[in-house]
Amino acid sequence: MSGQETPTGGPSEAGATWQNGALIRMRQITRTYQDGALEVHALRGVDLDIAEGEFTSLAGPSGSGKTTLLNIIGVLDKPTSGRIEVTGTDITRLDKGEAADFRLEKVGFIFQAYNLVPVLTAYENAEFTLLLRGISPHERREKVEPLLERVGLGDMMDRKPHELSGGQQQRVAVVRALATSPALILADEPTANLDSETSAGLLDLMLELNQELNTTFLFSTHDPVVIERARRVVRLLDGRVDGRAQRTGN
Amino acid sequence: MLWRMAWRNLWRHRTRTLIMTSAVAFSYGLCLFSMGMGDDGHGQMLDEAAKGAGGDVLVHEKGYWEDKSSDLVMRRGQEILSTVESVPGVRAAIPRVLITGLVSSASGTRPLLLQGIDPEREKALKDYSEDLSSGVYLDQSSRSDPLVLGAVIVEKLELDLGDRVVLTASQPDGEVTRALFHLTGVVKTGFREVDEMAGFTTLGAAQNAISATGMLTQVGVVMVEGLPSDTVANRIRASLRPVGEDLEVLTWQEAVPEMVGFIQIDDAFLYIYLVVIFAIVAFAIANTFLMAVMERVREFGLLNALGLRGGGVARLLLTETLLMTLLAMAIGFVLGFAGHLAASHWGIPVALWGVDDMELSGIDFSNMVMRSVVNPTKWVAASILVALVTLGSALYPAWRASRFEPAEAMRLYE
Repeated sequence: MSGQETPTGGPSEAGATWQNGALIRMRQITRTYQDGALEVHALRGVDLDIAEGEFTSLAGPSGSGKTTLLNIIGVLDKPTSGRIEVTGTDITRLDKGEAADFRLEKVGFIFQAYNLVPVLTAYENAEFTLLLRGISPHERREKVEPLLERVGLGDMMDRKPHELSGGQQQRVAVVRALATSPALILADEPTANLDSETSAGLLDLMLELNQELNTTFLFSTHDPVVIERARRVVRLLDGRVDGRAQRTGN
Repeated sequence: MLWRMAWRNLWRHRTRTLIMTSAVAFSYGLCLFSMGMGDDGHGQMLDEAAKGAGGDVLVHEKGYWEDKSSDLVMRRGQEILSTVESVPGVRAAIPRVLITGLVSSASGTRPLLLQGIDPEREKALKDYSEDLSSGVYLDQSSRSDPLVLGAVIVEKLELDLGDRVVLTASQPDGEVTRALFHLTGVVKTGFREVDEMAGFTTLGAAQNAISATGMLTQVGVVMVEGLPSDTVANRIRASLRPVGEDLEVLTWQEAVPEMVGFIQIDDAFLYIYLVVIFAIVAFAIANTFLMAVMERVREFGLLNALGLRGGGVARLLLTETLLMTLLAMAIGFVLGFAGHLAASHWGIPVALWGVDDMELSGIDFSNMVMRSVVNPTKWVAASILVALVTLGSALYPAWRASRFEPAEAMRLYE
């Protein structure tokens, strides 16, 4: 929840007491990549809690570790060390198959680009995760159509991604992320490829959905306009949470 | 949705899909067509081999087939003929007296294999009257013993119809004898062994010539179609046991084993050739699929990120391959079957391949016209094999696609 107490930047002792009620809890998360002979320290010990219903922006310059942190929270990647729980599950212990199932059940994704399956229509893309969960066609239609109408794509359901603008594609991705009513929606630079007007529209939509459905949104951005709209901002710098630059409440 | 996605994915790269589909379709069509032609060619060879040998099963006095000596005759010829005729599976039993000797005219002497035959019974296997180039064919109403000779002998001996010739041969008792014939006809088969060395007369005339009344050199058996020749040969052996003579019963395969070997080798070469073609196609497909997988890493990363397990990603790729294979095989089947129909209808003369002297085990194939037959078992087996090879070639690419780490896939290939 916005405004709630959060561990501020800087390393703290691993195994610190878990906070009650947090949707995401992490302690001392590090992630080191091997880039040829070079060791890249993308995350250097991140402590962070995100409560249910938050609308949080991960801000920071390129290379600060935003995408890496989102990938770890979304179980797309594993930390090199540290402890992380999402919806009470220790996600570092999940194998590949379990991780895929976890993403399907708990997480909705909106990526910066290449969000949609190119051969599927807007409607088919939006219902894709419901289909993977084995939901019947009738139920899928009941869920997806109103959402597509809601984001203004009611008359574009049969269009393929290449027939949609960047903003429309992102809105389809939002619908797909929301369709399964996940606990958490992760968005990696969702407005990076959009013009300012479309960005503002997408942000309005995400905020409305956050308020209406109490869905937790966590998104990375370095766009000051987007950061301004977030209820809570967690700034990353050189792989660490920059405690001095955090803002809660809006 | 999986099928829909797979089908649409196939047509995202139309040219690539068409090239892969055509490669499989043409290889499969060629495979079916080659098998159809091969089976027909071999079938004809088997028929010709059986005809050339004298029947599907041959009955002689023991040792005759190796020595070809006129004195090795079956003395109880009629009884043996009747016994063989009554064996189940025997369609026709053809009596023959075969005399190896010399034929002389005023102009010279030539070696001769004179066949004393019953022209009517012989028709069950081969009718040499169709090859008659002049005169009449074994006219039994003629007063003298009729003699039809191969065209080359007639030419070398400078003979005209009605001319007298003398046959010199040995009798069953070993005595050398001479017999007088008048040339009544000439056959020109295009088959060297017949044209240069063969002569035909009636069974009675041949028996008279070597004082072998009632005796036979050979009984050629034509079987009911579809029976294995060794089964019939065994039945004949069993039924001839009470006759008491020391006889040999050979299947045509035993009589001309080199022909059987040739067909087996030819068959093996056809299969090796098809395997090589399919190995090349399989590698090409595997390579193309692998390339396609590397191009689609981010897409597979996205699907995985959305919750599709690695197995699901692999299934998607395999479904794409399956659809392509089915499409290719449908086209290939139409091509192969059209080829089969065309070859069956028009035939392809062996001579078209520049083969003008194809003779094996004394059997001439140079006039053979290759057509096509469908062996359903082989066609089904080949189809299953093609499907497995094509699907198999996508296994490794599918496995690779299922192993991508989603974060890496989406990060590295942005």
